[in-house]
Amino acid sequence: MTGELVDLIRDAMRVVIDPELGHNIVDLGFVYDISIVDDAVGITMTATSPGCPATGFLKDGVVNSVSRVPGVGSVDVEMTFDPPWTPERIAPVVRASLGFAAVN
Amino acid sequence: MIGASISRWTMSYFATAVAWLFVALAMMVAGMGFPAADLTSPDTLVLVHVMCVGWLSLAMCGALFQFLPVLVAKPLFSERWALPALGLLCAGLASLLAGFLVLGGRLPAWLWLLPVGAVLLAVGLGLIVVDLGLTAWQRPTGPARFVLVGLASLCATIALGAVFTFALAGWGGSTGETILAGGVPLHAIAGLGGWLTLTAMGVSYRLLSMFMLSPDVDDRTSGTTLMVGSLAVTVTVVGGLLAVWLSSGLNAVLSIAAVLGVAAAALYGRDVLGIFRGRQRRRLELNTRMATLSFASLAGTAFLCAALFLTADFPAHVGALVFLAVFGWLSGLILAKLYKIVAFLTWLETYGPVMGRTPTPRVQDLVAEGKASKWFVIYYTAVWAGTLMLLMGQPQAFRAAALAMAVGVVGIVREVIRTRRLAYVAIPLRLPGGARAPHLLFASK
Repeated sequence: MTGELVDLIRDAMRVVIDPELGHNIVDLGFVYDISIVDDAVGITMTATSPGCPATGFLKDGVVNSVSRVPGVGSVDVEMTFDPPWTPERIAPVVRASLGFAAVN
Repeated sequence: MIGASISRWTMSYFATAVAWLFVALAMMVAGMGFPAADLTSPDTLVLVHVMCVGWLSLAMCGALFQFLPVLVAKPLFSERWALPALGLLCAGLASLLAGFLVLGGRLPAWLWLLPVGAVLLAVGLGLIVVDLGLTAWQRPTGPARFVLVGLASLCATIALGAVFTFALAGWGGSTGETILAGGVPLHAIAGLGGWLTLTAMGVSYRLLSMFMLSPDVDDRTSGTTLMVGSLAVTVTVVGGLLAVWLSSGLNAVLSIAAVLGVAAAALYGRDVLGIFRGRQRRRLELNTRMATLSFASLAGTAFLCAALFLTADFPAHVGALVFLAVFGWLSGLILAKLYKIVAFLTWLETYGPVMGRTPTPRVQDLVAEGKASKWFVIYYTAVWAGTLMLLMGQPQAFRAAALAMAVGVVGIVREVIRTRRLAYVAIPLRLPGGARAPHLLFASK
């Protein structure tokens, strides 16, 4: 049941995009962890750069999208830059379309 | 701090700056000021200050209000000072320009307009220096150090300029007269080299890394560039004032400063090359491709500076050198980054608040790079042609180049306005439920 809810939460977050890279934060590898205790959801995520004006909107976007998932009571998002995000975290199919170096 | 907020008045600064840029271009097309008039003529003073204060400084301040908090990952010290400062700067600049027109006999002999303009500019820029300085001081590392040195250079520029205006009005005493007689190159180098160039370098480190997903240049590497650049400005201002005081001439001081300046440009080129080599995004967006043309213009400026010194042709061609630095390096970089920054801020303002509730476009969906690129190409080609015409002593052909520059700028500005108006966003995505169209001239609260 928890596994299904995690999948639903992951799908819901696909509506949130990094505006610069133009892809959803799940495929970009911004989501580090999803934890569920009863109906309280905790999400640990990152962004490309600390201090970027988009970061706060990404966080709010995750709260907005996950709150709509049936079975979710509360959402707590923690933004971290440790470890920092790197392009290795991007899903391979998306990485190619973004024009990233093949070594990444 | 995670995430900086959207600067409310950055768009207002950009719009005002662009308006002044059009004034400068109109003057050049009409043949007012250099090269039709002497470099030190009142008309040239009008042209230079419209460009450097009205266009470059306002655009730089607007960008810093938004991106200095990103550089230091701390909030701006005070958002409330930005609008009053803009009003003071425009009033001060208008008064200063009117004062120059008095010097040229185009207005009645109201020389007091000059010091009044200087005081208004000093108060307006002082507000900005304190606001940005206190913001940068919260984390004076990396690119923020360039901004701090840039702000210190701005203070030196304002101080020297204010002394000049009091001297021109007859209120400067013998000290003012002495500084006015020999200090103009110091004022120009502190402003163009210290304030505008070092600040542009600092901001460009972060913007290039951010938009290309490249590792930041490490502090020691960029610190060397900053140290050499700062030394060039310090030698110019401190050594120059000493030379003026001792009546020993500026040649030695300016020669040392030129060597240091060229070295700083070379070190900056090394740093930028490192950012490009380390980038994760292989495909370059238009703003980055066009920024490379401004880096080429900076390299051209450094090369021309060295060549003119070696051939002892510096006094004859200093106008061409300054023109390339102002329009190729600084204005080119600012126009390229303006194109990107406006798209980015417009996206944040319009779609950031509805993220997670509805599908949103990408930043790239707000621009049409194919349409914009030709205007940039026209602009840069015209700038380089204009530089050549100045070197060849062809003022009429220069006016034609200025007209082509104006055409390029009109095209770029039109594209920026279309971006701000969301004109390129597909209609189904343009204004999803809950999203508000942005105001053209400022960001909504």
